[in-house]
Amino acid sequence: MNLNELLETVPAYARDLKLNFSTLTQQVELTPQQIWGTVVASAVASRNPDLTQAALAEAAGHLPPQALEAAKAAAAIMGMNNVFYRFMHLTTNQNYRSMPARLRMNIIRSHGVEAADFELWCAAVSAINGCSVCVDSHEKAVREKGLTEDAVLAAVRLAAVIHGLAAVLDAEKVTAAQAIGV
Amino acid sequence: MLAVGEKFPSYSLTATVSIEKDPQKAFKTITDLDYAGKWKLYFFWPKDFTFVCPTEITGFGKLEKQFRDRDTQILGGSTDSEWVHHAWRTHHQDLKNLPFPMLSDIKRDLCGQLGILDPQGGVAQRATFLVDPDDVIRFVYVTDGAVGRNPDEVLRVLDALQTDELCPCNWHKGEATLQIA
Repeated sequence: MNLNELLETVPAYARDLKLNFSTLTQQVELTPQQIWGTVVASAVASRNPDLTQAALAEAAGHLPPQALEAAKAAAAIMGMNNVFYRFMHLTTNQNYRSMPARLRMNIIRSHGVEAADFELWCAAVSAINGCSVCVDSHEKAVREKGLTEDAVLAAVRLAAVIHGLAAVLDAEKVTAAQAIGV
Repeated sequence: MLAVGEKFPSYSLTATVSIEKDPQKAFKTITDLDYAGKWKLYFFWPKDFTFVCPTEITGFGKLEKQFRDRDTQILGGSTDSEWVHHAWRTHHQDLKNLPFPMLSDIKRDLCGQLGILDPQGGVAQRATFLVDPDDVIRFVYVTDGAVGRNPDEVLRVLDALQTDELCPCNWHKGEATLQIA
């Protein structure tokens, strides 16, 4: 099912999310690469296979291959870093901060796309994964690289809606399975 | 001996890359300019056809994919000729399918520049170098006599050398953000 078809399956109770998604992909504050990279990274981070598959397929029509890879990489590396650095922030034991992380994260240097875009996608994923330290530091990094607060918020809106859609699609799958007595 | 932080020397050597009978396929000239953009793991041993060396060499061979995943090319070497390397690889069960080249530093140029020629025996010492994509030596590991090297340790060091906390997530309020590039 392509993305449009998938969105058509969103039930009435979640119509807000469906409509939000279609307007948010037109936001002028972001370039098409920024928009579709955010969609990809957010879908991956939201963990619904159907949404991820549809988002990747749709994004492939809007992104060069390197950008598509980089957006997936942002979700991958933040999937790790959001947990690690959130722990650092949550624990009151400050000793951990001076201990070496020993986590490879070289993709942050070698993703091959505009640094601002990659940072934006990391910020969006961090918002989904709920790491406040990460959100703060990536937001700062993105604005230092020249993006506006409007652009940041535009990306976060997209991330939020995609995450909501993923939850809806998960719920509907359960409902459909129950209906056929699985 | 060259140290960490120094440039790895230039060289152009014949290497044995397989046990094919055809010399065009079995031998290849390798220089310091090959494998651009990659890390290099050079490890030297005193003599082919001796006892400790095959276990170390096959040890590195078993980890070749791990090194390759880390963009690292393994290059073995001794002062033996490429034909001696060929004979050894052909006749030693564990070396037949060795997945990396054996350099022949027969003129002792490279080992001389590296400073690893044994003063007593005149052959290479058991020395290992990790070299980064800018040709800078980042790790030197030498053992004496019959003490074999530990390839896992070299992998551990490579990992540590390649791992930097690049994420601004370890930023603390009030600090300047990390400049990656």
